[in-house]
Amino acid sequence: MAEQKKKHKKRRTATRAAASIGPMVKEFIAGTVRAQREGAQKLAYSFIVCHHEEILRAMDVLPIWTENFAGVCGAKRDAERFLQRAESLGFSRSLCTYALCGLGFDHWREELGEMPPDAPWGGQARPDFMISTGQILCDPRAKWYQAAQQYMPDVPIYNIDLPYPLYHPDRDHREELPYYHKYIVEELKGLIAFVEEQTGKKMDYERLWERVRLSDKTWNLIEATYDLRSAIPCPMGTGDAMNTMVPINFMMATQDAYDFFLNLKQELEEKIKKKEGVVENEKYRLLWGGGLPSWFALGDFNYFNSKGAVFPAETTYRMVAPIAEMNIPKTDDPVEHLAWRWLGYWTFWYDKARQRKGGEPDVERLINYIERYKIDGVVMHEAFSCRTWHVGLIWQLHQLAKIYKPIPVLRLGKDGNKTQAWRENPSLVLESDIIDITSYSEVDTRNKIDAFIDTLESVAKSRVD
Amino acid sequence: MADYFAGIDIGSTMTKVVILGDEIIATVIGPTGVEQRRLANKVMEEALSRAGIPFEDITYIVSTGYGRINVPFADKQVTEISCHAKGVSRLVPAARTVIDIGGQDSKAIRIDANGRTKDFVMNDKCAAGSGRFVEIIADCLGVPLQEMGTVSLKSKNPASISSICTIWAQQEVTAGQAKGRPIPDLVAGVHRSLADRVVRMARRIPLEKEIVLTGGGAKNAGLVAAVSHMLQTALLVPEEPLITGALGAASLGRNMVEKAIKKGISLETKKRVLDVVQIL
Repeated sequence: MAEQKKKHKKRRTATRAAASIGPMVKEFIAGTVRAQREGAQKLAYSFIVCHHEEILRAMDVLPIWTENFAGVCGAKRDAERFLQRAESLGFSRSLCTYALCGLGFDHWREELGEMPPDAPWGGQARPDFMISTGQILCDPRAKWYQAAQQYMPDVPIYNIDLPYPLYHPDRDHREELPYYHKYIVEELKGLIAFVEEQTGKKMDYERLWERVRLSDKTWNLIEATYDLRSAIPCPMGTGDAMNTMVPINFMMATQDAYDFFLNLKQELEEKIKKKEGVVENEKYRLLWGGGLPSWFALGDFNYFNSKGAVFPAETTYRMVAPIAEMNIPKTDDPVEHLAWRWLGYWTFWYDKARQRKGGEPDVERLINYIERYKIDGVVMHEAFSCRTWHVGLIWQLHQLAKIYKPIPVLRLGKDGNKTQAWRENPSLVLESDIIDITSYSEVDTRNKIDAFIDTLESVAKSRVD
Repeated sequence: MADYFAGIDIGSTMTKVVILGDEIIATVIGPTGVEQRRLANKVMEEALSRAGIPFEDITYIVSTGYGRINVPFADKQVTEISCHAKGVSRLVPAARTVIDIGGQDSKAIRIDANGRTKDFVMNDKCAAGSGRFVEIIADCLGVPLQEMGTVSLKSKNPASISSICTIWAQQEVTAGQAKGRPIPDLVAGVHRSLADRVVRMARRIPLEKEIVLTGGGAKNAGLVAAVSHMLQTALLVPEEPLITGALGAASLGRNMVEKAIKKGISLETKKRVLDVVQIL
């Protein structure tokens, strides 16, 4: 394993900002271990995309992002020993491997009473409490911490339930929103009460508002920054975005996250001005249309780049949307605002989907990105252990194929003139896992990428002919 | 003097060479084995001998398949997806979908009238979706691989075999034997199981007629029947379904040379020598 780690080449990033992420993650993992030693702050196992960072930050709780730590183990190609430990405890390899890795690690740490030997980046600190959630259809999230409690019976759990109305083409979701909103507000208030009990502090609602406003401001900044990636040549690809997802998902409601995107935006503007792209001769613009990446194989993005392909956009980890377009009702209560923002995010594409016959929100988002970022092809990743993302990807591609047909279409311009255009958009589905390296074959993956590049080339040739 | 082009397809199980003049003038098919570089030389030598031309008469050589980088004399490497598309289109101009069942993987390719790839899907993760599945079961039942097709066509009541895993399927076949199930039923069940897996993968892309089946799987009449049954449509099978990749490689080589001439540029080629390759 040590030899394998040594041989593994470091991935190239296109932006300085993305390159700065590694040390940042290392520091916030080390920071939680330090905080535990010093005992000044409470530590909470947490999941991303729960809109509760503001609450935790306002109450000086340090989140330990367990999915992030598992991803780090994967990226360092050091997850296998934790996965095997979890298997030996009776957990199946076909469960979420993030959860498996975390459970294997927790069990080992609790057994030793200290970090497992050579724990990646100093290891994952023991939490004071855990905040689980069953939202976004990710069933392991509801069960992971319950299972971890077997090894840490003294660590309490609060389960936060964050539903949102499901899409229905013939029903306006707004009719149901007040009901959902009321429920989510109660859930978030329950979390606040739980954290107050655990920390012995009362929530300062003015402080919470500051954190919420900072997050909202960061959301808008991220949108503006990522929109710059529509430039030709593209100044930043998905390979880098798998780094810059860190401030979006693990550092929200902090000034550091806002400053990070301020710097990134400036860097991208400079690159655009100098016409500096991720690749020298940009031939193909691809959309990472779904699925978490293989954290141990992010070098595959460089491989795409070596073929002249770049990813100006991705749906994965872009967990923000333009706040101004959400029509969030005005409120004086930051908790109510958080609940409205949650609902606004998850129903963001509903109206647009309804405007298209047979439309569906996830597909609508893909179509929007394909048009906005001038995309030539779509790549998805089926990670065998991630059912949340995996389910529906092929169906989404089928829906896309109905729109991006392999025949020329006539486009009606604003001037009333019709022009012929080709809209065909081939797709590639990669198969592997998020952190289980035994599911990955570099030869097979790159063979598929080569074939996909050939396909893009032949589609481009057909357009010329 | 005619221009000659060679395509060499090093697959996981078989290595194929096609030498193309105005028509196909020689084909060689041999087992790949472990020493791919040595075998590439050997099959090329054999193909040249069958074609009756010296090596230096080959204008351009394209290699393809999993072992395409192990062909020391190839001027260019091209993926098997592009080569199968081109090769099938040359043999069956009406083809719009290619389903290739090889020894190690299976793939479906959507092509246009010029033999260009429009979309594709590949299974490379599991033996249960490739020809290896049939090989293992043939071995388990003691039926020669080349007879599996005809044996299965005798079945009146195909067994139901799991399509999840080759190893489990092998256990099911053994259990079926123990229960006295006729061998043709077990073999037909195995073919249905593989066909089910391949068709489910192929349906990820729009399947447009004519559908052509290639690869070693296309030489198995029982498997062809099973795939056809699942798709509810007739399939076309080339006379020699193993050579489409190599033929496509040779055709693409010709296209590359013609294009280069048109543009007035010269293409780099390797020295036409079949070196003895030292294998450790």
